[in-house]
Amino acid sequence: MASRREFLQAGIAASVLPMAVAGANPAPGKRDHAADFYKVIFDERFPPSVAFGAEWKARGAAVHAIRGDITDLWFHDLDQQWKKQPVPIAGLTAHGPLFCLERIAWDHGMRVVSRVEQKSLDGDGQPLISWLIAPKQTASKDPK
Amino acid sequence: MTPPGVGAKDFSDALKQFEESVGKEWVFTSDEDVALYRDAYSPFWGEPEERVASAAVAPYTVEQVQAVMKTANTYKIPVYPISTGKNLGYGGSAPNLSGSVVLDLKRMNRILDVSERNHSALVEPGVSYFDLYRYIQERKLKVWVDVPDPGWGSPIGNALDHGGGYLRSEFRVHFDSHCGMEVVLANGDLLRTGMGAMPAAQTWQQYKFGFGPWIDGMFSQSNFGVVTKMGLWLMPEPDAYLSGTVTVPKYEDLIPMVDVLTFLENSGISNGMPGLGSPLLGGFMMPPRAPEVTAMLERNGVESPELHKYALDKGIPFWNCTVKFYGPAKAIRAQWEYAQEKFSAIPGAKFQDGEFYKLPLTPEQFNKVHKPEFGIPSLDMFSIGARSPLNPTPTNGHIWFSPIIPRTGEAILEANKVFSQAAKDYGLPLLSFSLPSTYWTRSFIFLFGFPITHDVATNKKNRETFKQVVRVAAEHGWGEYRTAPAFQDDVMATYSFNNHALLRFHQTVKDAVDPNGIISAGRYGIWPKHLRGTKA
Repeated sequence: MASRREFLQAGIAASVLPMAVAGANPAPGKRDHAADFYKVIFDERFPPSVAFGAEWKARGAAVHAIRGDITDLWFHDLDQQWKKQPVPIAGLTAHGPLFCLERIAWDHGMRVVSRVEQKSLDGDGQPLISWLIAPKQTASKDPK
Repeated sequence: MTPPGVGAKDFSDALKQFEESVGKEWVFTSDEDVALYRDAYSPFWGEPEERVASAAVAPYTVEQVQAVMKTANTYKIPVYPISTGKNLGYGGSAPNLSGSVVLDLKRMNRILDVSERNHSALVEPGVSYFDLYRYIQERKLKVWVDVPDPGWGSPIGNALDHGGGYLRSEFRVHFDSHCGMEVVLANGDLLRTGMGAMPAAQTWQQYKFGFGPWIDGMFSQSNFGVVTKMGLWLMPEPDAYLSGTVTVPKYEDLIPMVDVLTFLENSGISNGMPGLGSPLLGGFMMPPRAPEVTAMLERNGVESPELHKYALDKGIPFWNCTVKFYGPAKAIRAQWEYAQEKFSAIPGAKFQDGEFYKLPLTPEQFNKVHKPEFGIPSLDMFSIGARSPLNPTPTNGHIWFSPIIPRTGEAILEANKVFSQAAKDYGLPLLSFSLPSTYWTRSFIFLFGFPITHDVATNKKNRETFKQVVRVAAEHGWGEYRTAPAFQDDVMATYSFNNHALLRFHQTVKDAVDPNGIISAGRYGIWPKHLRGTKA
């Protein structure tokens, strides 16, 4: 069970994410962004990430749990979805999963458009990163 | 950026012709797109010497590859073919020669054939291990692909770079288990090797050699052509899997233990990839080492008599070896029994049955096993590189120092002495003892990861140290099997018998088959004539 502090911190991370989907939502912050993401990824090993996933699930987003390894997520889900249509995903994970997802996303014309290290969210000594991967054309509209 | 020696107008004209050949959207020239081909683990990250591309072109068909090569040859544009470009630790997608145009073959991802009867496949370079695995699973074919770990790369790219896997010994060496290839030459000509040279060939993936000199090896770790198809031999799905572990008590038992293991492997008795370990010294997948063992190692090293006595007094085996078997359940149980008989020649050897799986795996077993040992590609290893109590300062990657040593216990002990001394001499983190990997049945390979950071001074120091340990290894007759572009000249220089006769032969071939030197200039130390001496 995530503590209130962890939950609030996850909320901060979650609120960062929609800011980067400028192309998907021209008025960030004006509505809930759960529908903007095909999947929101969290890592069961880290309470802040679990809290992050729970918050997005409560908002109505489709969430997917990993334990460091993205193989199952990618092989059974993202690979097939992205071959049909590249769609945005978001997450709060350690570096390793993001490293893999970013490189796989490149092969589908997608980019990491937001990457924020959440230093206050250290879980078991691992800095977590909130991130957003979106199709390249969406990424190019990012004001940053 | 333009390629070296190529004028802006010629480069622009060539890019236009590339666009005509493959489509405008498949020629990449923006900084953002070209940056994707940087080597994430480059030891020159952010320095002027970092090897970077000028552009990239992604053909879809072999005819488009031929057209691109003809254009490149006309304008003398250096091109650097990649398959899926996941060559982390050995250079990634980045070229040896800055300014080269990456020839990205990822779109050529067709699985042309998988034969369940012949246990073979024919694929294009953009096919990944995951693609091939999915194809096989969807059709419920009873064949396994030997995959490396991680498994997101290309079977063709991995075989060409001499990668290895985890299944039965005849499949683990990926170049050995290829059969036939198709190659586009520098002038755009198209070549098929082995039986594929026969227009009506019916055995391209069944007989490697064809007729006359067997030239497939010339297209591996080289720059003589662009491989656009390759045949692969697949492993028939076995009936069962079994592992067992032998432990031996004494330091010097390593020598007979390795000898028995090698006999069992070369006899075909133990056919899976074995693992060497030390219950006393600890390490990967081992119980933690006792603090007093660490103290003894620090005082007198692994040869310390007090350490040897401690192991015997405490009854902690010095070494272990896990042997693995694929085959019919009855047969592999008998093979394990025979293996135990052979290891029993070592006084004090003890045995423990390991995992036994009737195949295919149940879902519960699937989630538990090391997947590559069952022909299942995985990215799990990327989940262990983050910051942790054991890895408090994670780096930005690594480069592999990977020397081949003889397959004997004596060589393991000798190499540890040599590399421990080198670590002291060059200020590397001291490893108390390392055991080699066993991908190949006729030799051992050590895999030491050198950290890559985004700090220029640290990377510079690590580069110099890397070159020194390559030299030290070569002085003992141990050569690198593969390395990143930053060190390929240094490694090739160690293969220097008879005044570098091998490199001179490579250069002779290069000049003949690629006289304009457009393919992968500098790859594995082979530079085209016009750059020879200036780069190497």
